[in-house]
Amino acid sequence: MTVLDRLRLDGRVALITGSGRGLGRAMALAFADAGADVVCSARTQAEIDAVADEVRARGRRAAAVRADVTDSASVERMVERSLAELGRIDILLHNAGGRTAGDGRPLHTISEADWLAGIDTNLTSTVSCIRAVIPQMLEQGRGKILTTASGLGLRGNRDLNMYTAAKAGVINLTRSLALSYGRHNIQINTMALGLFPQTEAQATRWGGGRYIPVGRFGTTWEIGPVAVFLCSPAADGINGAVIVQDGGGLAGGVTPFGWAPRIPLPGASA
Amino acid sequence: MSDQLSPPTAAGGVPAPPQPERPFDLRGRVALVTGAARPLGGAIALALAEAGADVALAGLTGSADEHFQVNSAANQVWSLGRRNLALQVDLTDPVAVEAAVQRVEDEWRRLDLLVNAQDLLFAMPFGETSLEEWNATLAANLTSVALTCQAAGRVMLRAGYGRIINVASVAGDRGVMNMAAYAAAKSGVLALTRALATEWARTGVTVNTVQVGWYEDQAGIGDDPEHRKTLTKILPPAPS
Repeated sequence: MTVLDRLRLDGRVALITGSGRGLGRAMALAFADAGADVVCSARTQAEIDAVADEVRARGRRAAAVRADVTDSASVERMVERSLAELGRIDILLHNAGGRTAGDGRPLHTISEADWLAGIDTNLTSTVSCIRAVIPQMLEQGRGKILTTASGLGLRGNRDLNMYTAAKAGVINLTRSLALSYGRHNIQINTMALGLFPQTEAQATRWGGGRYIPVGRFGTTWEIGPVAVFLCSPAADGINGAVIVQDGGGLAGGVTPFGWAPRIPLPGASA
Repeated sequence: MSDQLSPPTAAGGVPAPPQPERPFDLRGRVALVTGAARPLGGAIALALAEAGADVALAGLTGSADEHFQVNSAANQVWSLGRRNLALQVDLTDPVAVEAAVQRVEDEWRRLDLLVNAQDLLFAMPFGETSLEEWNATLAANLTSVALTCQAAGRVMLRAGYGRIINVASVAGDRGVMNMAAYAAAKSGVLALTRALATEWARTGVTVNTVQVGWYEDQAGIGDDPEHRKTLTKILPPAPS
């Protein structure tokens, strides 16, 4: 077995939430390329049907299972359907989540319902999905779980109260679960992503990438190889880790980013 | 050479790289792996070779004993059908580091990957740590990384492509008793990496750290049965 074989996912079944489009779809296709069979899940049936077809076109088995991850009963059904269709779950990639109504406004102007809906979408959904797959992974004697966080889970952002709190929650939840289930050969990690705009309007609103150290946004396909690595046998020793993919944004610690002018030592010529 | 006299805030719109056909394939790349006299660096060199890279290997001190180990790792690279180069170099000597990088460039006309895996473990109550020990720990664990990053970085900046991985330790951002000097050095590697990551962000050269915990075969720890027993007790349980 060479080092590249350890990145293969042949024979593994991956359940990917939020995989109807965007980053979730990119990861579903990357997993298929690496040899995995894929259960595509999201709220919109037509979208997951299309992604499942793309997975099958790569020669893998696929299932499209509609689910609402904010509803734990729906999540339980999603796991049952996945097992019925593809027989096992080796990998859970929980990608569903995102900004919700009210976030981005000052805290005192948003309703409790908006707050709870956001926390449900990002944090409680992570709990529900992981809780639902753990028994199967314990029975199989191994598992990989990858959650999706954000650089905004590691620093603050004015008025993004729900999102920053929920993603920070996802990060520390991941760490704690990694300690709980590490001894059962289940590795749980999270990806802290930077900006991956999905529309031109988003790219413009986010400043065209000029505040990111590498001078550009993340490109959708770039998440695929990183997710494949983290869910592959090559990463069996990685547990409870926060993998940052943000073009260097957090390396500066602040946005726009760290920079200092040239300051020679006293007496030296500039 | 990037000369950032003004903060690079002016423009975004750096083009994204094309999606690679085989994202983990390193064929055609040239790597320099330091610390290759020890099992960790040797394993990294071998893995890079398996993935297709040609590999230059160096140790840490440039001693004869160490060079024997570096050579044996280089032979394993050779046995995989990759080109290899065993370098005898003291990584704390800037002239020697510059010459080693020059040698790689002379031989193979490029240098794409640098992995700094050298490690000098030192643990002592801080009150008993001498200035000599402090300096030696900082030189081996931090200055050596800076020197290789600078020498290899110059080649990479000219080429507009480079991948630098510095192996640091979880001791770099966690408090570990008896490891003040070692932890300060490893913490320095983390800060150095972050600084270079931003400084070179727009040049095509990425700089990252891999933080490792205790691992088997680590000099002075994994091969000492007593240390090993104690550490095994305090580490989280391994997969059963």
